[in-house]
Amino acid sequence: MPEVTVERLLQNAASAEPAREAASSRLKSRIFSAMQLEQQESGPLLSLAATHAAGRKLCVFEELVRIVPIGEAAKQKNPCRICHARVLGELVENAPIYWPGCPYVGFQDR
Amino acid sequence: MELHADTIYSYIASRLVPRLDNVDDLTQEVFLAAWKSLAGYRGDAPLHAWLLGIARHKVEDYYREKLRQPEPLPDDDSGELPEESGPKLDEILDQARLGEKIRCVMDGMPHEDALLLLWRYWEKRSAREVSEQINRTEKAVERLLARAREEFRGRWSDA
Repeated sequence: MPEVTVERLLQNAASAEPAREAASSRLKSRIFSAMQLEQQESGPLLSLAATHAAGRKLCVFEELVRIVPIGEAAKQKNPCRICHARVLGELVENAPIYWPGCPYVGFQDR
Repeated sequence: MELHADTIYSYIASRLVPRLDNVDDLTQEVFLAAWKSLAGYRGDAPLHAWLLGIARHKVEDYYREKLRQPEPLPDDDSGELPEESGPKLDEILDQARLGEKIRCVMDGMPHEDALLLLWRYWEKRSAREVSEQINRTEKAVERLLARAREEFRGRWSDA
């Protein structure tokens, strides 16, 4: 089969298929949440203090949890589970989340 | 995950077309499976190739499961076939067979070559976009694409 025919065959096959979109921001958010849950089930998460010390930015909410005088066990919980930004990210395409340091912000295509 | 979600989504969609209602779930399963077996990833192949391997297995599992549980036929014993509309059945089947053969050939190709063809023809990425993605020059991408087409041609005649 000549080179030109291969090219045409691939072009035709690709155009015969319906256009596929990229993964939605909702899907990316859901995958991220699911991975966090998976990690949580295998043991306690890295504490927010350790996460901060490792150089990862914390969002406003995480920062608040980090500095309040509560036990270390509570700081190893996953604050995203009770955060409205996660819910928005999972349910709304291009959700209006603008908190610095929030992992869900990165999934929104703007 | 953010870097590779689009590629994996696109691959799964191309394998499930026209039934796209399970693409989201399968994409999520791929990343969860990858997350669980991340310790087993030794870095021999690029991460996207490793993820595509997992996606391929997930799609195969999906079809195996579907074949095990065929959808029930509609409860209609009139014995009459529905009126034809749109393209003829033969044409649809020919197109489907051709698409299936292309997918078979691409499945057998090295990951890098198949991915390049997928990006170029299905995702309509330009040589410049691909070159930025893989940190190569446009000329190098053109050479890689020519090699991928050559690989495709060789496997097509053997298929």
